[in-house]
Amino acid sequence: MNEIIIAILRSGTPLIYVTLAGVIAQRAGVWNLGLEGLMIIGACATIVGIMLTNSILAAILIAILMCVLASVLLWFVIDRLKANPIIAGLGLTGLGVGGTALAVQSIFGSQASVTAPFGIPKLGPAFGAYGVLSISVAAMPFVVFGIWVLLRRTRFGLRLAACGEHPFAARSVGANPSRMRLVALSIGGVLCAIGGAELAAGSLQFFAQGMTAGRGFMAFAAVIFGASHPVGATSAALFFAVVGALGIRAQLMFGDKIPHDLLQALPYLATVFGVWLSGKLRGGAKAASSFAELKDQ
Amino acid sequence: MSNPPKPALECRDVTVKFGDVTALSDVAVSFAPGQIHAVVGQNGAGKTTFARVAAGLVQPTAGAVDVMGEEIRTGHVSQSRAAGVELVHQSFALPPSFTVAETMEFGATGKGGIYSRRGLAEKWRTHLAGLDVQVDLNRRIRDLPIETQQGIEIARALVMDARVLILDEPTAVLSPSGIDMLFARVRRLKQRGVTVILILHKIREVLGIADTVTVLRGGRKVEGPLPIAEVSAERLANLIVGDAIAKTLDRHERDALVGTKSPVGEGAGHPENATGPSVLSMTAVSTRPDSEGIALDGIDLDIRPGEIVGIAGVEGNGQKTLVRAISALADLASGSIRLAGQDVTGAPLAARRAIGLRIIPFERNVEGLSLTSSLWQNWSARELLQGSLLKVIRPSAVREACDRSLREWSVHYHNSMQKAGSLSGGNAQKVILAREVDSDARLIIAAQPTRGLDIGATAFVWQALRQARDRGAAILLISSDLDELFDISDRVVVMLSGRVNGEFRAPFDIASVGAAMTDAAARTSA
Repeated sequence: MNEIIIAILRSGTPLIYVTLAGVIAQRAGVWNLGLEGLMIIGACATIVGIMLTNSILAAILIAILMCVLASVLLWFVIDRLKANPIIAGLGLTGLGVGGTALAVQSIFGSQASVTAPFGIPKLGPAFGAYGVLSISVAAMPFVVFGIWVLLRRTRFGLRLAACGEHPFAARSVGANPSRMRLVALSIGGVLCAIGGAELAAGSLQFFAQGMTAGRGFMAFAAVIFGASHPVGATSAALFFAVVGALGIRAQLMFGDKIPHDLLQALPYLATVFGVWLSGKLRGGAKAASSFAELKDQ
Repeated sequence: MSNPPKPALECRDVTVKFGDVTALSDVAVSFAPGQIHAVVGQNGAGKTTFARVAAGLVQPTAGAVDVMGEEIRTGHVSQSRAAGVELVHQSFALPPSFTVAETMEFGATGKGGIYSRRGLAEKWRTHLAGLDVQVDLNRRIRDLPIETQQGIEIARALVMDARVLILDEPTAVLSPSGIDMLFARVRRLKQRGVTVILILHKIREVLGIADTVTVLRGGRKVEGPLPIAEVSAERLANLIVGDAIAKTLDRHERDALVGTKSPVGEGAGHPENATGPSVLSMTAVSTRPDSEGIALDGIDLDIRPGEIVGIAGVEGNGQKTLVRAISALADLASGSIRLAGQDVTGAPLAARRAIGLRIIPFERNVEGLSLTSSLWQNWSARELLQGSLLKVIRPSAVREACDRSLREWSVHYHNSMQKAGSLSGGNAQKVILAREVDSDARLIIAAQPTRGLDIGATAFVWQALRQARDRGAAILLISSDLDELFDISDRVVVMLSGRVNGEFRAPFDIASVGAAMTDAAARTSA
């Protein structure tokens, strides 16, 4: 049982951090399809940072810096250059996936995966079987709670939501929707960096090309499934992680009897199911209208 | 008095340009504190722009704004709010998913911090009670009736110590009794020392509430602020309309256009003209609930050729769903719809249009026209949709036909290749009329056909609808302007909560129509 919970937390934590980034962007009115790119930039920058500085703290700071810069770029393209947010987000994903491959190639001279000597510190033996988990897994519930308070229990959160839902109302009380989107995407950049760091240096200690393998999109699906609510989206991300862990479990139990590819596809199938379900439950009207209002600005 | 009080709000030679368009031109006006000031003018006169400059939402091209004698930085909402200027928008600016308490909090300034749901409701309960807004603070904005939403928007504007409260066309969305409630609220604010600036476009409302009146026309100040005792309705009407246009309107039409008197509709109503079998016949029509508006609940409606039936009602009581049901865009749960004798209950829109259904839709720029397409493409959509998909088109011939039609409708345009988005509101509406009001039209739905149009264009639309009626078309007119409904309708049907809540014939009585708009018990048939 412990093993399954550990597996779920390991695969779920990076997803949850990135999901929270998506939630904040969504509430501010930005459909952030650049999550995949931001996550892989965070993962790559962490491993490269460890290799270059030999310090996990410095490495994570580098990852945060890179992801925030990439987020500011996304904001600039959407908000100032008036690009379509969907296309801009997908562009950022392309930049992240391709750019990290290029960075590894040019720094280490090969496209092979890069293994770091150490990763994010573990909880340690004091936590028994769970000691193998990294401290960012332990920090995750507190971060979720913190983001929930920020978004749902402060005036800042209300203004952020107003900027996404009704930018004109936000402007009428003196908020600046453009600046709020910048703040939202920047906070998202920090969270994506931590998510990427946990993916590459949490339980593993290496970076490989394309290692996010669609997790950023899965996080985006969790945002939609969870109705842009921090706790709802976190639960959705956790649900995807549970399905993934059960898939691996099933693989071990049934071996060859079930096609291996089908089991690997389970989390993705769960994602499709989740998005379908959320569309069924809410009609998907709200998201569409907030996108229209963003264009209206 | 040797030292007159400083004006609460003063605009000094304010000019606003949006691209080539001048919305306000050298407007200089000052409002004395503690009074109720009306600003009037037709659509496009610059009233909303004036309000937005004062509120900091629009940066003027030139000029300055003083509040209580102090110049404020223009173009910054936070600066205007800090000086005590607050604006209540025409179509309220409230995020629909927010609860009442959240709506109050998100606009507040000063101490914030982390709140709890209960704490937030406590914090704002006394504020709302003090303004006589009776509402559960945990309900969401989208679930509240329009009068309550307006009360909340006013309360939202008063979360800080507002000294100047501007309300942009607050009466446009209200029922007659809602207007009375609003005016009572405004008078109480005056007693509290708030300077209130009401943007209005009906003269009788101005005369009923304001201490002074200022008239704007074509972005310029024509007159004002004049003490209300010194102006007659007659003079005000001419100031609003302008001498040039006033000459072209008959007196009765002008009075309906500027809302001089209590509307009685003595000039309308020729139900005896309407003979023959119904063009539209809806029997017990109910629609399935969907996200786009409230569902219809057992609507019975008959319109005969040669009659204009007006639909009155506070916005959001099923008028949009009614149009969607007739145009096959809403799912019926029960009931039947017949057009010109044929059962079209399950028929698609194309089949209904082929019978003679025409629609002047609510949203001119979204549903009515493709702003990025050319005029001839917009104009020809009707015919092209009716032909087969493989029908070969000769664009030059279509353009010629389009030119002929647009000239007939006196649309001002350069050539038929220009984009529809480049036209003014009145001309854009004329393009839609040119397309929808053709000789094959048997039922014309005119949904808010004059919203946002100036007086000349409004009179043009009314005339077009009357002519279509006289040719024998049936017309369903949906409007939130009772003057308009009473002036040109032969019958008025009131909608409330997706139901028909009363039917009236000319001469219309504003009190009983108003009662039917708000009160389910007033089910009468005059």
